[in-house]
Amino acid sequence: MTETTPAVTPGEETVDAIVRAENVTKVFSTRAGDVRAVDDVSLWVARGETVGVVGESGSGKSTVARLLMGLQPCTSGRVVFDGRDLASVQGRELRVLRRRMQMVFQNPFGSLLPHYSAAANVMEPMRLHGRGTKESRRDRAVELLDLVGVNPRFADLYPTQFSGGQQQRIAIARALALEPELLVCDEPTSSLDVSIQAQILSLIGDLQDRLGLSCLFISHNLAVVERLADRVAVMSEGRIVEEGPAEQLFESPQHPYTQRLLGAVLPVTS
Amino acid sequence: MTMTEPRDGATAPTATEPLLHVADLHTEFRREQGEPLRAVDGVSFDIAPGRALAIVGESGSGKSVTMRTVLRLLPRTARTTAGTARFQGRDLLTLSARDMRRVRGRDIGMVFQNAMEAMNPTLTLERQLTEHLLWHGICGKAEAKKRAVQALADVGIPEPERRIRVYPFQLSGGMRQRAMIAMAMITQPALLIADEPTTAVDVTVQRQILDLLAGLKERGTGIIMITHDLGVARYFCDDAVVMYAGRVVERAPTRDLLDTPRHPYTRGLLGSSVEVGGRDRPLAPIPGSPPDLARRPVGCAFHPRCAEAQLPRCREDQELIEISTTRAAACWRAGDDDD
Repeated sequence: MTETTPAVTPGEETVDAIVRAENVTKVFSTRAGDVRAVDDVSLWVARGETVGVVGESGSGKSTVARLLMGLQPCTSGRVVFDGRDLASVQGRELRVLRRRMQMVFQNPFGSLLPHYSAAANVMEPMRLHGRGTKESRRDRAVELLDLVGVNPRFADLYPTQFSGGQQQRIAIARALALEPELLVCDEPTSSLDVSIQAQILSLIGDLQDRLGLSCLFISHNLAVVERLADRVAVMSEGRIVEEGPAEQLFESPQHPYTQRLLGAVLPVTS
Repeated sequence: MTMTEPRDGATAPTATEPLLHVADLHTEFRREQGEPLRAVDGVSFDIAPGRALAIVGESGSGKSVTMRTVLRLLPRTARTTAGTARFQGRDLLTLSARDMRRVRGRDIGMVFQNAMEAMNPTLTLERQLTEHLLWHGICGKAEAKKRAVQALADVGIPEPERRIRVYPFQLSGGMRQRAMIAMAMITQPALLIADEPTTAVDVTVQRQILDLLAGLKERGTGIIMITHDLGVARYFCDDAVVMYAGRVVERAPTRDLLDTPRHPYTRGLLGSSVEVGGRDRPLAPIPGSPPDLARRPVGCAFHPRCAEAQLPRCREDQELIEISTTRAAACWRAGDDDD
């Protein structure tokens, strides 16, 4: 890889980053005035690494995800995916880049096509990107459903016929259909029951190990992020207030805001 | 057995009648075809003044339908077929609709998960807060307004005189949740039912809201909190019942429940919960998903997902077995490792 972008943080130039946000700012204009949702954020995900972003509602963490995915343009700063500035890429080239990054959303039902079967939902990205034949796409979809723990016997059922946890598994299978290098998960377990959340977390952890995925994992749930992330960034009011290896950050948080967040957690066991 | 016995003789009132006594509650939902769904299937619990009871369970376990049954706020397709809910000496289930309206909002306050949906978006806080007082004829308009301002101040909303004129959408999520608690508390109800009151708010706000509710508890309000969050249950609730597929599978003082769970489902919930600092503890998710009530497994509804299940014993109905004076679990093996 030919990484030539300037270093943002000391030591960072040695990192083989799949995606890198450099001094990114996003301002939304509303009737009530401008809102600086993301304010001078620099963040990168190294290959094979999982980076967690935690923060409360309105902290800007979902906006960061959307900027990194190129779903929204930055107001200033830039996002570089595998050495290429997303703002300078368009059309066909952008589509090629896009299939290398995929996203899993909070509400699986809202993100699946309701009138497509489970298999058809997983096949759709392959069809859009002209992968394989109809038959091979279906075989691959069934394989992926099996991989994420959806019984292939149910491949022809529609999203409403599945539970929330199963729907999220289908959404994950779809995200994996194009063999992305970067998987961005925005609160993927927040709408699920505790027992189902545990299943999905195990699945994501397992996929990270097996597929060597690079992952950006966004959640308001500190425990979930601690479990999956190698490195964690804490966001508050659009800024990253603290960033570091997960273990270190959770054991000795430095920033008062991180300390306050961790202090508010209510333990289940004594 | 009641849940009202003080554990350490500290705060709970002794030997008085419970504030709310729910016994053998059954509620079913009519379907276009087939047998009705038994959403609440023989639920019993007690709550004493000044105590908090957690009702824990996953979606579809019947925890919200149980509370809606007690409040008589069920949809038309639902029918309560048996049970009693004695509150201050009267069975709520046999009250006239008119008498029930006098209980709701005056003697029993309600707090819901989503204040935006629970409040009327077209009315100012003043209208919504004073409505209970005026409708129940508790006081006049001027006094009601005074109390509304005070209620907002009590829940920590700054500038209550100004805020009382705003509409719900003009408040942040945390502020709205507080305003809803103010609304529920303004009539000083004896019982507060809170359905996932902190699920939609941030962790730092969650703590503030729980501390606010703790103040009410100290003043003698009984609180029933429906939650799926075991951390919230541990922090706030004295006692807990765990529901699964419409039935109570375990009840115990909350700490005992979480420290030494006796029902395999409770153990499964604990094995599924992720905790800060628990990175190295492997997750032990419960396989499968909660049952479709239309296809409720025979006997113990949990047995198809239970790692400890033994057939044919688990295909028989499991009654709640009392393990000690304060604990019970609906598993034939629950008493085995009694200490």
